[in-house]
Amino acid sequence: MSSNNPWHVRASRHFPALCAASLALLLPIRSVAAPAPAYWFAGTNLIFTKAQTHGGELAVALDDPSLARFLIKLNATVAYDPGSRLVIVTSGDRRVVTFTLGDTRFENGPLLERAPFAPYAVGATAYIPFVTLAKALYVVPVKDGATTVLQPQIGGLDVRTRDRVTTVTLSSAVPIRFKRTSPGGSERLTLVFSGVASTLETKRSIGGSAELRGVSIQSGGTARNPTTTMTFDATPQTMHVLANSDTPNVIAVAFAKSGVGLSGVPIPDAGDAASVIAAAPRPSSSAPSTESSAGPSDEYAPVGSEVPAEAAIPPPPLGSPVVVTSLDLLPADAALNVRVGVSGPVRYEWHRLTDNRWYVDLKNAMLGIPARDEQPPGSAATGLRVRQLAGDQNPTVRIAFTLVSPRQVNVVASDNGFTIAIGGLDDLEPQRVGTGRVAGGMLIASAPLANPGDLWSTPAAMLHPIVPTNPKLIVIDPGHGGSDAGAAHNGLTEKALNLDISKRLRAILVARGWQVEMTRYTDTDVFAANGSAHDELQARCDIANNAGARMFVSVHINSYTDAALNGTTTYFYKDSDRALADAVHRRLASVGTADKGVRKEEFYVIHHTTMPATLIETAFLSNASDASLLKLPAFLQRVAVAIADGLGDYASRNPVNATSTSDGS
Amino acid sequence: MKVLRAVVVLAVLVVAAYLAYRYLVQPPGRSADTITVYYCKTDGVTLVAWKVSRDPRMDPNKVAFYATAQALAGPPVSVEAIRFPAGTIVKHVDLSGSTATVDLGGTISRSAGGSFAESGEFRGLIWTLTALPGITAVQIKVDGAKVATLPGGHLELEQPLARSSF
Repeated sequence: MSSNNPWHVRASRHFPALCAASLALLLPIRSVAAPAPAYWFAGTNLIFTKAQTHGGELAVALDDPSLARFLIKLNATVAYDPGSRLVIVTSGDRRVVTFTLGDTRFENGPLLERAPFAPYAVGATAYIPFVTLAKALYVVPVKDGATTVLQPQIGGLDVRTRDRVTTVTLSSAVPIRFKRTSPGGSERLTLVFSGVASTLETKRSIGGSAELRGVSIQSGGTARNPTTTMTFDATPQTMHVLANSDTPNVIAVAFAKSGVGLSGVPIPDAGDAASVIAAAPRPSSSAPSTESSAGPSDEYAPVGSEVPAEAAIPPPPLGSPVVVTSLDLLPADAALNVRVGVSGPVRYEWHRLTDNRWYVDLKNAMLGIPARDEQPPGSAATGLRVRQLAGDQNPTVRIAFTLVSPRQVNVVASDNGFTIAIGGLDDLEPQRVGTGRVAGGMLIASAPLANPGDLWSTPAAMLHPIVPTNPKLIVIDPGHGGSDAGAAHNGLTEKALNLDISKRLRAILVARGWQVEMTRYTDTDVFAANGSAHDELQARCDIANNAGARMFVSVHINSYTDAALNGTTTYFYKDSDRALADAVHRRLASVGTADKGVRKEEFYVIHHTTMPATLIETAFLSNASDASLLKLPAFLQRVAVAIADGLGDYASRNPVNATSTSDGS
Repeated sequence: MKVLRAVVVLAVLVVAAYLAYRYLVQPPGRSADTITVYYCKTDGVTLVAWKVSRDPRMDPNKVAFYATAQALAGPPVSVEAIRFPAGTIVKHVDLSGSTATVDLGGTISRSAGGSFAESGEFRGLIWTLTALPGITAVQIKVDGAKVATLPGGHLELEQPLARSSF
């Protein structure tokens, strides 16, 4: 058994004991349901009602209410997947502790440790060794007379030096509360942490840091109310701040010489880690809203309430229904082309469902041929249905396919109508919805498509025949609104700022000759209060799609837990929309905050709009500097002007007749 | 006869003890038994890979579950990274073909973070899972159901996400 593996060495030394233990394992194991010992923790007795003693140790069921309370106090979570036998606990300081049913070994972050007994399941309930779990979460049982106190600890101290900044990160079992006892501005920083003890070494020298010599740690208080005093011995002329952390169980203190940029907040006389965390975005009814205060300034014309919701451009009136005069199926190897003849111009809207059904609705259309329900030729689709959907008021013809897989589908204009071209290949990132308009008898291709297979060799540009029904229309989407406030920081709410900027943008665009529609004109939901995100976002897309807009721009403000982040980001999703995002961002990048670039992201509203679309994250509400800018009407106006300039740049470089205004698929 | 029975029993016990010994001292953490977990730096763009060890006996479902939990937790707290909201948990991971369906729960179902955070969080998770053999796409569920987006309403989650989604 010679081995360099310490596990082997240790195991060999203990072979007799392991034999005995192994023999013991062969004997029937008794888990006894007995009154579990009570633990004192955070001012209350934890009495486990779903617990067993297992070889003298306490096994607690994952669904025990006291265990749940215990974990909540620690800011920890537990996930149990019966199928995989894993119990994964994430501590408040973001370590992962993984137990496996039937295995005494468990992973505590990067360490492999061993529990006194293997976690096990009784029915659908898993039982885990409680004390082992508690210790892994930096909670140590301490005797206090006859009572066992579960004492939270500061269990982690990590020191890193980078770019002339030394950062000390402390991890605690529970959310951190502290008092600073050293005078402000002193090189020696002393913090007293209440409610936690420490098992860390009492003195630690910091090597390789020009800012910090060492840390000394002293435990005090009582078993039930411990304290830990930490003294940071900084070098002369070193400043310190509280750096950001995203969990209240962790606090980070950054040290740097004066003159070096330090990101963080001054350390208060007393505080907690949570106070330095940029709070997660929460709507706040008491937060002052800029919506009502978005008054006029000297720099721009007031845009407050001049634009009533009724100003929305109404859909074009319906004329006589067009008639579907023919429907021919033209298989081509693995592809299928369906040529549809119509008597005149027709608007359509197609949808792709998640189960590979695809259908197109022809608006204001009557079926002039018999309804069909059949299996089409070829291997691209297994079903075809053609039918009349509605009556005289809103007649619609629906042509539906059941595809064999998420096949590529394009709608292209063809002789006396259009062709639905189902490709032989799958669309890896299929669009779900699209709209457009084709004119019967008008050809997009220069010649009739005699050979259906040609559709798949047609240049991509030829497959984008849909032109905006209103090439002068821009739809502005002020993000969030109504029951969805978006982010809220620094006394500002995102929904109000989005609307403010959008109104300014609308005024500028109208002055420049554009028609502008907004998805909302007031602080309201677009679909319905507290509706689903899908309904809300799709309603915004529908406004732009149904109006046949030329461009779509969604206005947002960013936020993040790290208050240090700031800047402007412009997003696109469809590759064909990159040019629009670039044009807008080129103008936005100089408005006054940092430039975070142009990025591709699958955001809903820029995915499901069929015209060129972009989403702008103007600045970070969670950043003090950006927030102060966002409070300035002049800044909001600069943003609106920049967006308008960018939209104008794009429009002038991409005139409608040369633009792909829909992906057509 | 009694002696023979005792010898047999002893032999059986010794064999059982040896097997138990082999089981208990199975060397952990072989170099190949690691998974790559990705996190997104706070620039919102840069992905960083880090390795975590895993039990070599995990089957693919377990590995995917474990990888998801690691991606949710993120790197050590002293490392600057875009992280899922504290309290986000993985409830279930199911592998079907080349798609991993990840059911998340906890804080994330109430989270209304900004687009910046959503993008970084899911970029790291999707890259982590698609680094596992055979997984090319990830379907996100929240509390057992498909959702169009998180409450914040940015990143689309209704369809499986792949590396090309970002």
